[in-house]
Amino acid sequence: MERTHVYRLVTALLTAGVVWAVFYLVPPAEGLGEKVRLAFFHIPVAWVSVLAFLLSAVWSLQYLRTRRIVYDWRSAAAAGLGFAFCILATVSGAVFAKLTWGAYWNWDPRQTTIFVLLLIYGAYLTLRTGIEDGEQRANVSAVYSLLASITVPFLVFIIPRYYYSLHPAPVINSAGRIDMDAVMVYVLMAAVAVCTAIFWQALEWLVEGRRRGEKAGVKEEWGS
Amino acid sequence: MRTNASSWLKAAFAVLRKDAVCEFRVRYGLTTLSMFAVITLATVSMGIAGAGLGSKLAASLLWIVLFFSAMAGLARSFVQEQESGTLLALRLYGGGQAVLFGKMAFNVLLLYIVTALIVPLYIVLLNVEVNGWLPFGAALLLGDTGIAAVATLTALIVARTGAKGALFPVITFPVLLPLFLAAVSATVRSLDGGGTPVVELLFMVCYDIVVVAAASLLFDCIWQD
Repeated sequence: MERTHVYRLVTALLTAGVVWAVFYLVPPAEGLGEKVRLAFFHIPVAWVSVLAFLLSAVWSLQYLRTRRIVYDWRSAAAAGLGFAFCILATVSGAVFAKLTWGAYWNWDPRQTTIFVLLLIYGAYLTLRTGIEDGEQRANVSAVYSLLASITVPFLVFIIPRYYYSLHPAPVINSAGRIDMDAVMVYVLMAAVAVCTAIFWQALEWLVEGRRRGEKAGVKEEWGS
Repeated sequence: MRTNASSWLKAAFAVLRKDAVCEFRVRYGLTTLSMFAVITLATVSMGIAGAGLGSKLAASLLWIVLFFSAMAGLARSFVQEQESGTLLALRLYGGGQAVLFGKMAFNVLLLYIVTALIVPLYIVLLNVEVNGWLPFGAALLLGDTGIAAVATLTALIVARTGAKGALFPVITFPVLLPLFLAAVSATVRSLDGGGTPVVELLFMVCYDIVVVAAASLLFDCIWQD
């Protein structure tokens, strides 16, 4: 069996294991009850949408430094996947907000931040559709990706501290303390790891498809 | 290129003067921006027929008008050079940084002038009362600077896409959003007169500095290509 198939099989098995753990191992949380299970979906996808954004920016920088087109493919694939994960995080967050705060959307600082992230992904992907020449597109979108990434410190560090938020602090909060049941922490870590693995394999798959397309002489197989 | 600072400043100033002279001859940018702002303000003012707006609504409206006026006028920075075929000459004679800062200074000035024109209209038409003029003015100046700085780089990006004008606001707004939030919140506080919005203004200063630095670092990547 090929190595990628093994990886995929392992990821699928682990995903199944985590899903099982979320429903059978995790105890209902105080105050949240059964709703807490949604957090095991929400936190990993939100983490991946931020990770994908950072990776996309790093690969953009790599592209500008080395001018190797493969970095552009990686950056584009990370942005495309990040957009999908970001939508999942926004929707699951809105559902969570409806269940706990009583409204789907109220421009909580966290919601503002994730919304800006969605906008940036959207703008980046739209920009890519607007340029036809491959190298030109790689260059311009790399610059835009880096320009957009400078807003992240302002959004992530300044706005949530300055405006009052209802959103719970990250799991490992500023005090360095973990306010969670041990089982929950382990399952959450596993969920984050599995979600990252899914993202990574999808990324490799997209980049590999691109590479094969290039080899076979098929230009612009998926127009981004 | 970096031999001395004065020749660089001279080059940037030459670009600024060239743009100002072109603008003075045609007056296209200034009239478009101002008319766009007036139309938007008048539409809202007519629609609400003199009813008072809350300070939050009024502040957001001011920044929406400013942002979209800027979007209507500033896209031309590089598109117009491309259309008239002067982009190549500019690339040959001016260094990238000189062109960037010349254009940016021109855009900042243009926005300042437009702001000076529409703020009195805004106050009259929408019945707005400003309680803290100093923070209000500071917020406007800082906001305009940020908008112009980002718009100069994104205008070059748009010129590279083959002048797809609709892309301009789409790619500029996400980058400007943090500034936009701070500007609206500073404006609300200066309209209400509840003390100077120090945090917001500081945030805007930091943002402007970071954006100008980023534009300067990234500009050459597209300019030389």
